[in-house]
Amino acid sequence: MAVRVPPVMRRIRSATRGRPRLPARLSPRRARVFAFLGLLGPGLIAANAGNDAGGIATYSSVGAKYGYELLWTMVLITISLGLVQMLAARMGVVTGKGLAELVREEYGIRWSVFATSAVLIANTGICISDFVGIGAALGLAGVPTQVSVPIAAVGIWLIIVRGSYRSAERIFIWFTIPFFAYPIAAVLAHPHWGAVGKSLVVPQLHTNSAFLVLLIATTGTTITPYMQLYLQSAVVERGVREDELPHEEREAVAGAVFANVVASFIIIATGATLFTHGIHNISSAADAARALNPFAGRYAEVLFGIGLLGASLLAAAILPIATSYVVSESLGYEKGIGRRREEAPVFVNIITAMIMLSAFVAIVPDVPVISLLVGVQVVNGFLLPINLFFIWRLSRSANIMGERRSRGILDGAAAITVAVTSTLSVALVVITIAGF
Amino acid sequence: MTSVSASTTQAPPILHLSSVVGSPLRDADGTRLGKVEDLIVRLGGIGYPPITGFLVNVAGRPSFLGADRVSEIGTDGIVMRKAKLDLRPFERRAEEVLLGRDLLDRQLINVEGARLVRANEIELALVAGSWRVVGVDTGPRGGLRRLLPKSLGAHIATGEFLDWAGVEPFVGHVPTVRLRVPHPKLAKLHPAQIADLVEAASRHEGEEIIQAVGEDDRELEADVFEELDDQHQREFLEDRPDAQVAEILSRMAPDDAADIVGELDEDRREPVLALLPVSHRIKVRALLGYDPAEAGGLMSPDFILLRGSSSAGDALDAVRASKIAPELLSSVFVSSAEGPLEGSVPVTALLRVNAACKLAEVVKHETPCLAPDASFEEVARLMADYNLTAIPVCDEHSRMLGVVTVDDVLEAMVPRGWRRRFGLLGED
Repeated sequence: MAVRVPPVMRRIRSATRGRPRLPARLSPRRARVFAFLGLLGPGLIAANAGNDAGGIATYSSVGAKYGYELLWTMVLITISLGLVQMLAARMGVVTGKGLAELVREEYGIRWSVFATSAVLIANTGICISDFVGIGAALGLAGVPTQVSVPIAAVGIWLIIVRGSYRSAERIFIWFTIPFFAYPIAAVLAHPHWGAVGKSLVVPQLHTNSAFLVLLIATTGTTITPYMQLYLQSAVVERGVREDELPHEEREAVAGAVFANVVASFIIIATGATLFTHGIHNISSAADAARALNPFAGRYAEVLFGIGLLGASLLAAAILPIATSYVVSESLGYEKGIGRRREEAPVFVNIITAMIMLSAFVAIVPDVPVISLLVGVQVVNGFLLPINLFFIWRLSRSANIMGERRSRGILDGAAAITVAVTSTLSVALVVITIAGF
Repeated sequence: MTSVSASTTQAPPILHLSSVVGSPLRDADGTRLGKVEDLIVRLGGIGYPPITGFLVNVAGRPSFLGADRVSEIGTDGIVMRKAKLDLRPFERRAEEVLLGRDLLDRQLINVEGARLVRANEIELALVAGSWRVVGVDTGPRGGLRRLLPKSLGAHIATGEFLDWAGVEPFVGHVPTVRLRVPHPKLAKLHPAQIADLVEAASRHEGEEIIQAVGEDDRELEADVFEELDDQHQREFLEDRPDAQVAEILSRMAPDDAADIVGELDEDRREPVLALLPVSHRIKVRALLGYDPAEAGGLMSPDFILLRGSSSAGDALDAVRASKIAPELLSSVFVSSAEGPLEGSVPVTALLRVNAACKLAEVVKHETPCLAPDASFEEVARLMADYNLTAIPVCDEHSRMLGVVTVDDVLEAMVPRGWRRRFGLLGED
C-alpha cells in the first residue's frame, strides 16, 4: 500500500513566496490595509527627501528672517511640486521608461549626456551636504562625525545594494517617520496660529534682494530635479500597471503635500522662536536646532535633531540611487536596486562611489561646506529648468503618452510651473554668481 | 555574442550613421543643395536591411530622396545622380523606418545575448551592391563619437559592434510599421529567455515581443506566457479579449493554465473558462479549487496510471502513445484493482526489465503520496527525502488526482535574488 502522508505542518505562507497568490482571496479588511500601505511609496519618498539638511537650513532661515511671512509661497510651491511629481509618475507608468531614457530617445545623446553630467555634479553636492547633516544631527547627541558618518554610509549602502527594491522602499518609508518631529516641535514652540493662518493666504512681498534670494532658494530646495528623476525611475522599477495610474498619481501628489506641510512646520517652528526673539541669522540646520533650545525647551531641540537625521538619511540614500538611474538609463546600462555588482556593475559602482565620496568629504574637517553648497545650488539652478522643460514637453507628446498626454488646464499649469520655476532658477544662478 | 571587427581585412569599409546625418547633399557637380536629415531603411526582409532613401532638407523643406537617385554616400555627404532636383514630400511607407529617428538611441534586442541593449551608433556598409545596415554599436566608442564635435569625433575608430543578424529592433513606436514587421530571430530563443526580455522591456516593447512571437508561433507564445512572472502575465492578458486568452490557455499545461486563470479578474474567469476545450476546462476548473501554495495547486492532472496486472511493455506503449509533456512522465503510477494508488515505477526501470514483467513485481510501494492540502514545504521535503522528481497527489481514498513535478517545486524555491538577472518585477 502506498503510504499516505498526513499534512503534518500547517502551511507557512511566508515560506511559499514565488507561488501565485490570488488577489480575490484577500479578505476585505486585509485589502484595505494593503491599499493604505500602498499609498506610501516612491512619491512620498521622493518629495520628502527634499526636507534634507539643505532644505531644513533654508526653511529655518526663512522662519528666522521673516517669521511666517513667506508661508504663502509654500502653498504655491506645493501645487507646482505636486504637479511635476504627478507628471513624472504618469510618464513612468505609461512609458515604462525613466526620464533619462526618454530624453535620450527623444532628444538625442548630447542632451542626455549634458543633463546626466549636471545631475551627477548637483546630486553629489547635495549628497555631501546630507552626510554633513547626518553628522550634525548625531553631533547634537554627542556622537563624533568620524563615527556616525561612516556607519550611516555603510548602512545606506547595504540597504540599496543588498536588499531588494521593495525592502529598500519599506526602510525608506520608515525614514519619513521622524518628519513628524517638526509639527510637534512647531506646536511646542507656541506659534501665533492666527498669524500663521493669515500668512498662508495673504501674499507678502519685500523688495530687497535678500528676500528675493531666500524666496528663490526656498523654491529651488523644494522642487529639486532628483525628485522627479527618482520618482519616475522608481515607478518603472516598481512595475506599476496602467490601471493603477490614478492611485500612483495620488500618491505622488500626497507625497508632495506631506513634504511641504512638514517644511511649513519648520518655518512655523523657527518663526515662533528665533524670529520673535530677534535671532534672524542662522548658518546651519544644526544651529537652528540648537537655537530652538532656550525658547522651545529641550524637547524641541531633540525633535529637530531627529527630524534632521531621518531626512538626511533618506536623502543620502535617494540621491545615489537617482543619480545612478540617470547615468545607467542615458548610457544604456543594466540597472535596479538590489542588483549585485556582477549584474549591474555601472549602476552599483556609481552608488558605491557616490556614497564613499560624499561620506569622505563630510568627515574631512574644514571642508568649505557653505561654498560647496552654493556651487551645488548653481548647478541645480541650471538643471531644474532643463529637467522641467523635458517633463513638460514629454508629458504632452501624443507620440509618447498617447491617450494619457497632458492637455488643457493640466498642460497649461505645467507650462506656467516650468516658466516660473525656470525664471526663479535662472535668477538664483545669476544672483549667486554675481554675489548679491 | 557575434561581433564584427572593423579590422578584418575582407570586411567592407564601415560608415557611421552619425557621420552621414547632418552632412551635405550635393549634385553631380558638387554644388551643395541641402542637408541629409535621416536615412530610411526597409526592415522585414532577410539579411542586412537596405537603405531605400534619404530624408533631406532642401531650402528648409524636408523631402524624400530615393536611394536609386544617389550615386555616392560618404562622410562628405551624399551625391545625387542627376542634376535635376525632383523632390517629393516624405511619406512613411510600410516596413520603412528612419534610422536616426526610430532606431538610434533606442533599445534593441541583442538576440545572441538575450538581453536589451541601446544603440549608440548604427553602422552601414556597401554589401551586395547597395548600402545596408550591417550592425549596431552599443559600446562607448559610438556614443563618444556622437558626443564630440564632428571634426574630433571622426577620429574615433569603429569599435566592436553587434552584427545586424544578431539584433532585433523595436518598431512599435514607428507609426506605419506598428507590429507589422515580424521578429523572426526571436524564435531562436528559449521561451524563458523571451520571458526575461519581456520582463526587462517597457510595457509597449514587451507587448511588441509577445505579439511578434505569437504571430509566428502560437505554441511559443503560450510557452512564453508560462514563463512570465505573475505581474506580467496579468498585465498582458488584461488587454486581450477572452477568446485570445482562452486560446493561449488551451496551449498550456493545465496547472500553468490554472495559475493564469487565478491571475485574471474574478468576473473574467468564467467567460474564459467557458471558451476552453471541454477536457482542458474540466482539469483547469478542478485545479482552481486548490490553494496555489499547496500540493493541489502545484500538481498537474496529467499522468499515466495502470493496474498492477499490466506488463512493463504495456506501460511503455502507454508512454509512447501519450501526448503528456515528458517531465510528467518520468514515472508511471500503479493502482490496485479496487482503485487506490499502489506506488510508482520509473520509466527507466521499465526499460530495464523484461517487457512481459508485471508492474506489480517492479512497483515501488514506498512511494509517498500527498494530500491535496499538503503544504509546499511538505512537498519539497518529501521530494528531497525520497529523491523523487515527481510525487503523486491522492484524495482521502488514496485515489490519484495528479502529480507534482520537480520543476514546479524548484521554480517556487529559487531564492528571490536569483530571479534578478533581468528586472526585479517578479518580486512581491
